[in-house]
Amino acid sequence: MSIYEWMNERIDLDSVKKFALKKRVPIFYGSVWYYLGGVSLFLFMVQVFTGILLILYYQPGAETAYESVKFIISRVEFGWLIREVHSWSANLFILFAFFHMFTVFFAKAYRKPREMTWVTGMILLMLSLGFGFSGYLLPWNELAYFATKVGSDIAGAVPVIGDFALRLLRAGDEVSGATLTRFYGIHTALLPGIFTVVLGIHLILVQVQGMSVPPEIEKIPEEKRKSIPFFPDFALQDAMAWLIVLNLIALLAVFFPWDLGSKADPLASAPAGIKPEWYFMFMFQTLKYIPAHVLFIEGELFGIMLFSIGGLIWFLVPFLDKKANDGIRTPFWTWFGILLIIYMIVLTAWGYLT
Amino acid sequence: MSNLTKTEIKKERRFFLNTILKTGLVAWVASVIYPIARFLVPPKTAELNVNNIDLGLVAEFPKNSSKIVRFGRKPIIVIRKESGDFKALEATCTHLDCNVQFKKETEQIWCACHNGLYDIEGKNISGPPPKPLAQFKVDILREKIIVSKMDLS
Amino acid sequence: MMKKSIWLYSFLIFSLLFGSNLSQEDACIACHVEVDQELDDEDKIVNHFESDIHIKVGLSCADCHGGDPNAFDDEDEAMWENETFIGAIEKSEQLDVCGKCHSDPLFMRRYSTDVKVDQVSQYKTSGHGISLAEGNDKVAVCTDCHNVHGILPVNDPRAPVYAKNIPETCSKCHSDDTRMFESGLPTNQFDEYKNSVHGVALLENGDIGAPACNDCHGSHGATPPYVENVDQICGTCHSNNKNLFQKSHLNDIFLSKGFGQCEACHGNHDVEKPTDEFLGWSSESACKPCHEDSHPAKLMASHFYQTIDSLKIGLIQAHDMVEKAEHKGMIVSELLFDLEDAKKTLIQTRTNIHSFNNAFVDSGAAPGFVSIQAAINGTNVLLDEVIYRRKGLLAFSLIITIFVIAIGLKVKEWKRIRESEEV
Repeated sequence: MSIYEWMNERIDLDSVKKFALKKRVPIFYGSVWYYLGGVSLFLFMVQVFTGILLILYYQPGAETAYESVKFIISRVEFGWLIREVHSWSANLFILFAFFHMFTVFFAKAYRKPREMTWVTGMILLMLSLGFGFSGYLLPWNELAYFATKVGSDIAGAVPVIGDFALRLLRAGDEVSGATLTRFYGIHTALLPGIFTVVLGIHLILVQVQGMSVPPEIEKIPEEKRKSIPFFPDFALQDAMAWLIVLNLIALLAVFFPWDLGSKADPLASAPAGIKPEWYFMFMFQTLKYIPAHVLFIEGELFGIMLFSIGGLIWFLVPFLDKKANDGIRTPFWTWFGILLIIYMIVLTAWGYLT
Repeated sequence: MSNLTKTEIKKERRFFLNTILKTGLVAWVASVIYPIARFLVPPKTAELNVNNIDLGLVAEFPKNSSKIVRFGRKPIIVIRKESGDFKALEATCTHLDCNVQFKKETEQIWCACHNGLYDIEGKNISGPPPKPLAQFKVDILREKIIVSKMDLS
Repeated sequence: MMKKSIWLYSFLIFSLLFGSNLSQEDACIACHVEVDQELDDEDKIVNHFESDIHIKVGLSCADCHGGDPNAFDDEDEAMWENETFIGAIEKSEQLDVCGKCHSDPLFMRRYSTDVKVDQVSQYKTSGHGISLAEGNDKVAVCTDCHNVHGILPVNDPRAPVYAKNIPETCSKCHSDDTRMFESGLPTNQFDEYKNSVHGVALLENGDIGAPACNDCHGSHGATPPYVENVDQICGTCHSNNKNLFQKSHLNDIFLSKGFGQCEACHGNHDVEKPTDEFLGWSSESACKPCHEDSHPAKLMASHFYQTIDSLKIGLIQAHDMVEKAEHKGMIVSELLFDLEDAKKTLIQTRTNIHSFNNAFVDSGAAPGFVSIQAAINGTNVLLDEVIYRRKGLLAFSLIITIFVIAIGLKVKEWKRIRESEEV
């Protein structure tokens, strides 16, 4: 008797199998974008895996964090590999998450009945930015220290709750060893827990609702649509994509290792040209160039409000772009998305060129 | 001209492909597991951060002598006085960074570069050095000399 | 007499009753504050005196100038008719006036135990003192260096005799051609000193461990050092060089020829940071001016140069290699330690040549070469690791490529099977 048969006698695996085999992936001009969600998932799994390996050697704390990372990359066998994979995969994860989000947006896959998938996806994006921000500090090097200082300063600029939020984030008034401890807890316990739950919901929704297709294909009855089974065909194709991405990460890890730099020194002055990580750059650059006062509102505050309102609109787009539910084209939203991408790319580039 | 039929060729190809696939899977799994397995085995030195160093047995450190050793990335000078007590100080002169040395006759610390002089406690007493030498803590634990950073309190 | 006392007492009571500051100050200041108002800023006496160390310890004008500090509003009683009154002090009188206190150990002990009281006796042995005794009052006496009324202690950074300010104070006279003309002394010392390694260290880098004029010439006993003493003076700081040189065979030769041991090769005021070209046999060689090409000095100088140059070049090469490894992503902090050790040996070797002994120099330089080799070996290990990683990446990429292609073909195969079954 096989393991499957043994378990099937005890829990009904057959119906799970039947359900899984039912899943099909539509084939049309836009099918290639279906890979993006899976790659993001893969990258998340790489992060969890390498993250757990790193925790076996990482020592949080202002006196030990930097040294333990240095130890990992110089003394531990293949420590450099695990660390570089973790660093690169983190960046690729956020990149692919954005990519995935935008393809979903332009396909208007957020329309009914998939509003919840969109919302959970947005939550996942926010959480992954949180992962990036908290994880960046953990090596406790100079760049990370100041990037965190600058980043958390912006949190303090929010009205009313700003100071409280700042102290909550920093575990104190300044960025210190206490901040490091808090970020460590956030990065390795709090966020993974929340992320897993929301990810579970997101994936279940996708499984239950099936893959979204453009309106013109929706008009074709399901049996007549061109598609391939998910198991084994698309699953194996997914695996191929994942392996290629893994190879890319290995290449980046060997040829473009991340510089550890020097240890954080809270008493030293900030080095010139402190920059946040690239995925925050466009916001940072915007805040930098907003005039000191816009109407009667302070510049930084205005910027934060702008981002908050913009973010909220983006979050709620399935509920705002109602016409998409009926398959009607809504070029307003398409342009909104295009302009947003242009804005983000231009400001990120500008941030790096200066 | 092959003796095999079309189906037989197909079967062979399929077998060939399956073999490659299986080998590929095994090779890939091995190439992932190998680094991880090596990673999990801890290296000989447990930590990089030097909070203390072990200088060996007290009995093997002669009285009225000194040694310059590395503490992490900094050189320190460890002195055993005539009385048998130990003193550990940074070995980098506070004037222009030369390594200092121990003068046994006067139990003072001297810098050869510009004749700077420190007393046994590391206080700069003559010559150009502007500040005293930083102190390190010396403890004797089970007959071993352990040098560590001075508490900040 | 009585009349004057009555005036005095009533004035005192008057000022007490009306509580003005005048009763706190002495009569000299009370009057001279008004005199000051008619003088130019630089000639004003009282405001300078306010910062003076003497008034801070409770002395008054009269302690130097004599007179009666309590004779308010009576010029004659305060000054002219007072038998202790000296008035403005002449240069020739300064030694006596200042020395009255400063050479008296019992008096000075009131203000500071163990303070020096030999200034005047030192001064009398100095170039200035001897000239003054011969009747020349164009030399520096106490107030020329210490100021007149605003005298600050030596460790006050505003004092003209504070370490960093001394070169300028001395050069006020010693760089002035007109003033120095009669003495026949040169006036280029400050210019030379400014650009020297000591001048730059003291004046530009603020290192008060570096010598100013007084550290070599003496302060009160300022005089050019005698030839036999030069090594003692330089050796105060550069003791290793002095000890090695004194033990070398050159020491006696230099003295017999009247050469200053350090000065002959390194100069005095213009002493520069010596370059390695001092050794060897190029145009900058310090040995060439005395020695012919046929002299064994050439061999020794060349050997010293070789040794130091090899260390230097080895150090640069090792440093470049370490940097290369760092750029490739490796951690090199341990190797930097070896480079530091090698650098220290290089510095030591440059001192060791003052022994003018080949064996001594060689044994001192040996550890430097060992450190350099250790750094190079360490770098090679790192660079090997870099190659190992790239090879590993190649192998991994190969495996993945084959695996991915195999999967792709498998999927195609299954698709074909399915399509044929559906037919």
